Parts: sequence; C-alpha cells; structure tokens
Amino acid sequence: MAVALLDSVVDELTAICGPDHVFTGRSATFNRARVPAPFPVHKWDEHVPSAVVLPTSAHQVSEVVKMANRHRIPVVPRAGATGLTDGAVPLRHGIVVDVKLMNQILDLDHENRTVTVGPGINMLKLNEELRKHGYIYPDNPASYPCSLVGGRIGTSGWSLIGARYGHTRDLVISFEIVLPTGEIVRVGDGGGRTVRKSSSGYQLKHLFMGHQGTLGIVTEATLELVPRPEAEFSAFFAYGDYMDAWRATGDLARSGVATLAGVVLFDEWKLAYLRRDDEAYIPQPESIKGVIACASYGNADEVRIGAKRLLRIGNASGGVYLGDEISQGDWASRHDRYATPQHGRTRDGQVALMSWHCEDASIPYSELPAVREEWHAIAAKLRERFDMFDDWGMFAYTNGAFKPWGDYLTEIDIGIWETRWDEETWAAWVDAKRELARVSIEHGGSISACHGSCREGEVDLVPAELGGGFEVMKTIKRGLDPNNIMNPGKYLLDQAYEEA
Amino acid sequence: MADRAASEDLTEVQSNGNGAAREFVEEWRDVAYNCFSSGHKFCREVCPVMQVTRDERHTPTAFHANVVAMEKGHLSIEDVAEDYVHCTMCGACELRCPNTLFTGDFYRFRQRTVDVVKAARALAVKEGIHQKDWKRWAELTDRWGNEPVLGWTKETSGSKVRAWAAGLDIPTGGETVLFADCEAAFKRPSVPRAVALILREAGVEFGLMDQQWCCGGPMWETGYVEIAHKMAEHNMLDWRKTGTRRVICLDPHDYITIIENYPSLDASFDEFEIVLAVDEIAEQIRDGKLRLTTPVERTVTYHDPCRLNKRMGVWQSPREILRAIPGLTFVDVDHVTQWSYCSGAGSNLGVAKPELTAEISRRRVAKVRELDGVDTLVSACPWSERPLTEQGEAQGIEVYDIFELVAEAAGFEV
Repeated sequence: MAVALLDSVVDELTAICGPDHVFTGRSATFNRARVPAPFPVHKWDEHVPSAVVLPTSAHQVSEVVKMANRHRIPVVPRAGATGLTDGAVPLRHGIVVDVKLMNQILDLDHENRTVTVGPGINMLKLNEELRKHGYIYPDNPASYPCSLVGGRIGTSGWSLIGARYGHTRDLVISFEIVLPTGEIVRVGDGGGRTVRKSSSGYQLKHLFMGHQGTLGIVTEATLELVPRPEAEFSAFFAYGDYMDAWRATGDLARSGVATLAGVVLFDEWKLAYLRRDDEAYIPQPESIKGVIACASYGNADEVRIGAKRLLRIGNASGGVYLGDEISQGDWASRHDRYATPQHGRTRDGQVALMSWHCEDASIPYSELPAVREEWHAIAAKLRERFDMFDDWGMFAYTNGAFKPWGDYLTEIDIGIWETRWDEETWAAWVDAKRELARVSIEHGGSISACHGSCREGEVDLVPAELGGGFEVMKTIKRGLDPNNIMNPGKYLLDQAYEEA
Repeated sequence: MADRAASEDLTEVQSNGNGAAREFVEEWRDVAYNCFSSGHKFCREVCPVMQVTRDERHTPTAFHANVVAMEKGHLSIEDVAEDYVHCTMCGACELRCPNTLFTGDFYRFRQRTVDVVKAARALAVKEGIHQKDWKRWAELTDRWGNEPVLGWTKETSGSKVRAWAAGLDIPTGGETVLFADCEAAFKRPSVPRAVALILREAGVEFGLMDQQWCCGGPMWETGYVEIAHKMAEHNMLDWRKTGTRRVICLDPHDYITIIENYPSLDASFDEFEIVLAVDEIAEQIRDGKLRLTTPVERTVTYHDPCRLNKRMGVWQSPREILRAIPGLTFVDVDHVTQWSYCSGAGSNLGVAKPELTAEISRRRVAKVRELDGVDTLVSACPWSERPLTEQGEAQGIEVYDIFELVAEAAGFEV
C-alpha cells in the first residue's frame, strides 16, 4: 500500500499545481499504477503512488521536482502509460507527475518545418491538426492512437514507417526537460530549438532519449514536419518456407528504394496464430510458412516507380503476391493489429482472456533465423509448465532509420492469462524474460528496440549488454540525480548510489 | 495453480464487498478483464470527457480496471462512484476498442463500456451514494412523470407533455404514436411540432400517447433503475391501452432506451415496432411522399448524435435528408471522424457537471468554425441542441434540429 505523504507535502503540491490538479485518493492512485505490460495484478498495491499531480507548465513540473528533491520523495513521470515496459510504473510509490494536460500545440513553424508541442499530445491528434497544413508527424508505433510524445521520448520509440521517415530520436529535434534537481534545460543536437545537426558540445538529445523517466521529465518538444505523402503502396508476399521469406526480407530491405518505409516478416507461428484466431485476417493455405509485408510512402511518381521494383524483388524471390485486398486492407489495419484478449487459448484449445506481451529485441539480420528457434523454445517451455501462456508467433521489422538493412525489431508475442498470476508463475515469467534477453545479447543484439529493457528479469542483463557503458550510465545518473528521486528502482540504477 | 480448470478463477471473488457489490463484480469482471487484458487505451483520445479532463480516472480503461481492482479488494464503489459520472455514454470508446474492431466483424462482439458505467452508477445508488443533482432530477422525474428540463421548479407533468401540440389537433393513441422526448416536448417544442407537421404532410397517420412519461433512459443511465422501470411499464401500458403497435421516436435517446431496455421488462415487447423519425422521414422523402420544395439558404454541417452514430450506426438517413433539402449547402464531416465528437449532453452529464458539458460543446462548435463558410450546425438530437445552441450563440453558429429544417423546406413555420 502507498505510503501516505505528509499533509505539508500535499499542501506544497497543491500550492504549486492548484487544488484541482493534485490527487491522493485511491482511484486516482490505483489507476496510475499500471501500464499494459504484464502487470503483477496480485501485487497491485505495491505499485501505487502516494500522490498524483497534473501540472500544466514546465514551471510547475520544475517546482514539484525541486520540492520532491528537497524531501527525497520519488517522482515518476507518466505520459500515455501505454508502454510495454514498466517505465511509468511507480516502484517506490512517491509522486506521479502525469503530463496529459500538457497537450497543446505551442508553435507551428512553417518556414523551418517544425511543430513545438507539450509532452501530453498524442500523434494521431497532432496529425489531425497538421493535415490541414499538408504535413504529418510520422512517428507511427502500434500505439499510434494512444501513446503520447513525452512517452515516445522517454522510451526512444520505434516507428513502423521508420525506414522512410526515421524513429522518435530522428523526429524529435530538440526538447525541454526538467532535470531531477528541478532545472529546466533544452537539449538537442546543439543549441537552437530547430537545429537538426550540430557539432556543438555533447549530443545531449540522445542521452535523454529512452531514459525511462530516470533522468527527468520532458515538458516540451520540437518535432520534425514532413510533407503529407501523396501516395501509399503496400504489398504482401507469401512463401512456402520461412528461410525463403527471410532471404526475401533482406532483398527488399537492401533494395535502396528511397520510398521504402518498412518491411515486416511474419513467421509460421504467427501465421498459424492468425489462422487460428484472428477474424480480421484473411487466411492463407497451410502450406504458407512465411509472409512479408512491405510499404512505401512519398510523392506519387516516386512511389509508383519504387513499387514496381519492390514487386519485382518480391516475385524474383519466389514470393506470391497476396493481392490488393490483403495488401491494402491488412496494412491499413496495422494499428489495431494488437492481439486481442479473446485470442488466447489454453493447451486444450479453450479461449482464455490473455493479455498481449511483446518482446522487442534488436537482432542483426543474420541472426534472425537462429533467434527465432531459441525464442519459440523458451515460449514452449513456459506454456508446457503453466497453462496460462500462449505463443502468438513472431514478427521481424526493419529497424534502421533510412538504411533499413542492418538489424530488425524482433518481436515474439506471448499471450498471458494475467488473472492467474501468483508468485510461482510470475517468477517463471521473469526467468523466461531473462532467457529471451540472454539469447538476444548472445546473438549480438540488444534486449529492446523500442520498449526499454528495465523490467524484472531482462534488466539483470543490461550491464552485460552495455558493458562499460552501464558504468557511464551510473555516473551520469548519480551526477544528475544526486538523491535518486527520479523514478528510482529502474534499470538497476540504485547501484549507482551503493557504490558512492 | 497451473492445473486448475479455466472457470475456477472466475468464481473466486476476493472482495469482501457486500451482496450488491459482489453481484456487480461477478456480473462485470469478464467484460472488465477484456479491457484490462488488452490495456491499449485506444479509447482515450476519442473520449469526449478525456479530451477535456485528461484525467486517467475518467478513461474507459479505468472504468474497467476499477472492476478488477474491486474484485481484488483494492477499491470499493465509494472510491470510484464519482469517477463514473464522467461519461456521456457516447460509445466512442467501444467502437475504438481493438477488442471491438478485431473480434467485432465475425462475432459481432462489442466491448461493453457503457453498460459497465450504467451498472456502476446503479450500484452507487443502491449503496446510497448519490450525485446531488442526479438524485434531485430522479425524484422530480418520479414525481412529475417527465424530467425537470425546465428547471427545478417548473413542473413537467404528464398532463402538460402534449402542450407543444396545441392547435395541431392530433388524436390520442391509434396504431402509430409519436413519442416526443421530454427535452423536446418542454424545452424545444419546435422539434416535435416540426416532426408532426412533416409526418402529416407525408400522409403518415399517427396519434400521441394519452399520458406520455419519460422514456426512463436517464434514470437507467444515472442509476435510478426502479424509477426507470416504473416509467417504462407505464409507457407500455399506455401504448396497449390505446391500441398502439408502432412508436416513432424523434429523439435518439428515447429510441435506444426503448429498444435496449424495455424488452427485458416485458415478454410481449415484440408486438411493438419502434421506429426512428430520421429513418421514417428519410424513407418518405425517398418514396416521394414528402416533397421538399422551399429552398433553405444555409451552409450547414451535421452533428452526428452519439446515440445514432456511435451507439446504433445510424448516420446515413440524416445525410440523405440534408441532401434532399433545396438551397442547402451541406459541408459534411464523415461519421468516423465524428467518433471523437460529442455535445457533452449525454447521460445527464450536464446536470451533474454542467461546466464539463459546456466545454465539450464549446469544442464541438469550434470544429464547425473551422469549416469554410458554414453558418449552421444541424443535429438530430434535442439533448445535444441545448448545449450546442448555447455555445453556438457565443461563437456565431446557429444550431438547428434537422426536423426544423425539413419542416421549413416543406413550407411550414415551426
């Protein structure tokens, strides 16, 4: 259960944010404890914050953080709370700083092609405004209708069309962040708010990308504007063998087609799962063991020419074009292609409400086939032991911005019947996560491409993945957050203070 | 644990709640887990309340998560009753839910959030937790037979509910009756007058109920279920008394209440046919029975009432009607874009939280102002027209009911 804050602390929060924007009640706090990542519902009350504030300005955020720092109270930033790692889950109670009210468009700079927004704005909502001017902000994750800009920075998100337009780190030009000691600073490649490339000083923008709320709270961001594409082309190809599909994925990704926005590889487990349970999926015959989706965007003439080349590569690689209905319809539904709870099955085929968990490593192209085998084996072992896990198959997505041929966001989707969590099953899951992470590192990959790697299990291997870099992380953390108030308990960063 | 049968988990209630709370949790936890297990929150940004408050307690996700938390003994209805006030029951969240989108086509599945909110409000009332003005509203509705839409002191009794029809000489009862919603009958009588004149012009024979009471909708929606039952039973009795088989509803709230709630109270409900006036009138125009010849020189856009568009998928008929009005320039905003629009009036939000309704309406009218040359916003729901008119006056946009414009085009003054 949450530790109650002193009345005087609540009074201070109220003085800063106003009485309508400070909450300590049970529903306000319980509803800001969880995110969609597997959540130990049996231990819900261990993750409940003591207070929630909804600030409306950077100044308020700064004052809250300064106050918390004075009193050594943990602070946890929260934007959309749609993350698939636990960045927004308060591990040590404290004050949740929920930035959803900071969702304004602050400046639209037509000349320099930037838009400056508050961290609480959602990309779909932003694009509803931008389309009037012929722009898009092309940060396009599966959570496009619900994730918020602040969280995209906090996790260093990945975009489905990142091969063409870049990922969050490429699309956020600069941002303002409140440091753990309360100072408000702007970080970018260099100084100017709209400068895309600079060699002035350290590249601080990258430092604060993906910090999972451990280094501060973003209060404003200046984003890239892109001409709204005139044309979209998407194509799906089917293969009788996974390895053929894997080779073709590489061919497409290396094609050099400038409008190519992404290539997605479905493995046979994924196809079997879709055949079994996804009503919106148009099933292909059992003989199909691999499917590729690719998409391109841009000016109509360029997309048209690029499309011809992509179709040629797909055909030459032995793929069967799956037709316009699947190619256009399936691609159009990509944001809603989250697995739904009704798709979970027990071993004997009964439907069980399962939540979707998605592991999201970055894996070099060459290692995809091997990682796939090892990951499915881990999932199978888990399902064999506990009839509350289900293997929903794997996707591999091009992961590099602009040059998409190197590594792949590699995802295994595991259905989890969350109402059955207990100590034993939770521990088994944490072990499995650690195993999945180990495989990623052993194959030269990274534990996470876009969610972050700070959750129980996987986080144990972060020092192994980063090596000396983890030592640098600790030094930075201690330097910027001397009292360990900013989202404490994440990324093993408590170690920074044990050694001090 | 691992070997336990699938159903066992669902019979285990850890809550120490009393009978009513336990019943609530048992009834709704599967629905709630559907959301909790998904957790994607696609609902948040289409929710008209969330667009204003941005408070996670008011998300459809929270409305479901609370049930899970109640089951686990973490929250009680006392903790969350006030949160559940923050909903217009527009249904946007249900449509936008990946569960609906991706199991809906095949299984006709729809995530049930509106029903959860209704049930939570009913539980609150049962437990003696009242929203002051909802309670007052319910008491007066019970006393007068119709909702106190004219304020707390102006009686809206069954004997006055036909006042709008003065001089029209409409008979009582008969095969078909026109059901004129409380808000329309008392607050915006031009709407029922318009509908009556148009129907008559089209040759539709109809009467009015002998004693029309509130449809009961707002009572169901705010948790006063017993009063709702009383209203519904009275109305059905009245229909039977006057030989009525067909009921034309001019208000979407009445329509959805009657088709969703009445059948469970009456085994013979199937003997009634419930018709939406927008569908009926679109058909009369299509069949050439209603001729619209007087030009209406306005540039309009249409507000999709939530209960028509989001709850029942009715968006074509009103557009068909508007396109049949001569002289009218119709600037349409598609019905899917309007999933995230709302007037803020639904489920008596405006009674409990008037400032929230006003802000939702203000934003809706501001959307109209973004459309080139549009001077008029047309709705097909009298409840929406009150806050929209208030905001329209402030922002220079006129607000009309669709039937008011149809009547004008048919040559009537209402």
